[in-house]
Amino acid sequence: MFDLIIRNITQRKFRTGLTVFGIALGIFAVMVMGGMSEYFNRHAENTLNLVDKIQVVPETGYLGGSIDESTVRKVNRVPGVSDAYGLLWMPYDVEGIGLIGDYVVGLPIDKQGPTLKDTKLKSGRLLLPGDTYRAVLGSNVEREFKIKVGDELPIKSKRFRGTSSITHERNFTVVGILEYTSSDYDNVIAIPLETAQKFYELENTVSYIWVVPEPSADGEDLAKRIELSVEKITALSPQKLREQVEKTLVVINLITLSSAILAAIIGGLSVMNTMFMSVSERTRDFGLMKAMGAQFRDILYLTMGESALMGVLGGIFGIIGGGIFIYSMNEYLSSMGMVLFAITPRLIIISLLFATLLGTLSGSIPAYRAMKMNPMEAMKYG
Amino acid sequence: MDEPILSVRNLSKTYMQGKIPVHALNDVSFDVQKGEFLSIVGPSGSGKSTFLSMIGLLDRPTKGSVFIDGVEVTKATDNEAPKIRREKIGFVFQHFNLIPTLSAFENVDIAMRFARVPKSKRKERATDLLTRMGLRDRMNHKPSELSGGEQQRVAIARAMANNPAIILADEPTGEVDTKTRDMIVELLRDLSEKGQTILIVTHDTSVSARTKRIIKMLDGKIESDTVNAFGEIKTA
Repeated sequence: MFDLIIRNITQRKFRTGLTVFGIALGIFAVMVMGGMSEYFNRHAENTLNLVDKIQVVPETGYLGGSIDESTVRKVNRVPGVSDAYGLLWMPYDVEGIGLIGDYVVGLPIDKQGPTLKDTKLKSGRLLLPGDTYRAVLGSNVEREFKIKVGDELPIKSKRFRGTSSITHERNFTVVGILEYTSSDYDNVIAIPLETAQKFYELENTVSYIWVVPEPSADGEDLAKRIELSVEKITALSPQKLREQVEKTLVVINLITLSSAILAAIIGGLSVMNTMFMSVSERTRDFGLMKAMGAQFRDILYLTMGESALMGVLGGIFGIIGGGIFIYSMNEYLSSMGMVLFAITPRLIIISLLFATLLGTLSGSIPAYRAMKMNPMEAMKYG
Repeated sequence: MDEPILSVRNLSKTYMQGKIPVHALNDVSFDVQKGEFLSIVGPSGSGKSTFLSMIGLLDRPTKGSVFIDGVEVTKATDNEAPKIRREKIGFVFQHFNLIPTLSAFENVDIAMRFARVPKSKRKERATDLLTRMGLRDRMNHKPSELSGGEQQRVAIARAMANNPAIILADEPTGEVDTKTRDMIVELLRDLSEKGQTILIVTHDTSVSARTKRIIKMLDGKIESDTVNAFGEIKTA
């Protein structure tokens, strides 16, 4: 029977082409929007896995101010804290708002291990004691600047003089490049903390503090204890951070996926329209088949099989098109230090299943109509 | 006498035309023996096509029973009807009713597909039937590439594909010229002589004159049921 489905589809090439194109466009949207959603999810998950410490940030929030280095010592004295160290965070583009793109992190050289956690070096080395204007880069930074170990990377800082500011630029020698992690670490430019404080003229200042709890300490309790013990800070346990990130991701996922599903449903309507036409045109054939003894399931198989096949074809073309688009966009965006999409096996499977389901369901009403036809009436038709 | 292959008992069919009942068939009863070649004749509206639809399970009677090969087909449910159609009945229609996108071979083959006949057997049977119909060289042609006579021969081959107990032919010569008509009637007659039961509905007297038995219908009733002693083919 499958050859009959193929024959019917190929005999109406133009119509089939348009229908498959409609589905493919819908699945393309699912791939692209889903790819974006997948990237955000994976990126957030990988980042959260790397950031497994309690975050101590200014009371006013991550981007709301800075913390005096004396606070680091206060945090270190809180019972249950194994280690606490400050990091200075600055956007690479000092003219921008710094929400996306590369960023500079000044970190204590002896804390590189716990900070970078499992991130491995692709080439070069980590920062060593005595290093000053040296930098270790994330993989997106490397791709963006097409830079290698030993090259110089210019970094700008804005220095305020009264009401005006002067932009100062200094070359940092790249000593190491990190492997791709699909996390925030891909956009990092890690430099020694002391050098960063000097370069940005923010002596004795850090942006936030990372706290390593003692093995026996509960992260949630310790975060509360830190907040009670130290003034003007907010402490976020890894669980709390995860909750906050997940809440944001739900909104992003809802927006991206609902628009993708809407596009795909429009594609599904085109299949339904085609199938209605196809069934109407073949009313006589279906009546005849029933007179020949075709069962309900035979007619159902022929009609729904046709729409499902168009769904599968649309799905395959949509996935290929979406894949090519995502690959090209990622290549283009990575030259600007960004990646926005991720293709995962889950996304491909969901897209294909969705396309098949869409095709099958869209064909179900026309198929039911064909199935219920009275053979006598059907043969009088057309 | 053997058990009849087709037995019709008190068959009635009433349609509602608005609020007025129309008795298309009215208490029709008769038997057909295996290998019989009979025609049902009558003017338009006499009920002959309605009668054919009842036997072929294409429509349901209001009253009465039809037995084919000992099975009361009028009791068949919607789920059982396809099996009975496949196994007991072969249809030949006035308008040939071939599937236009399929070749002659595939039009015969598809009837066996619904009966789940294995591919190798289908190929063998379809080739054999089309060869018997004199269409061996036309097997791969689409209906649009065949003449009316050739199309009707494909339809006959298709009707025979599943070895049905009875072939029901509704005006099988209605759309062909006289030469083709004679050829089709001779073909059907030849099949009946080999044991195939064939029931033709026609209003063409030159067709019914060549069948062995003629049932005349009028106003939904059997007016006469005669054995045609002269059922000989006359060349046109």
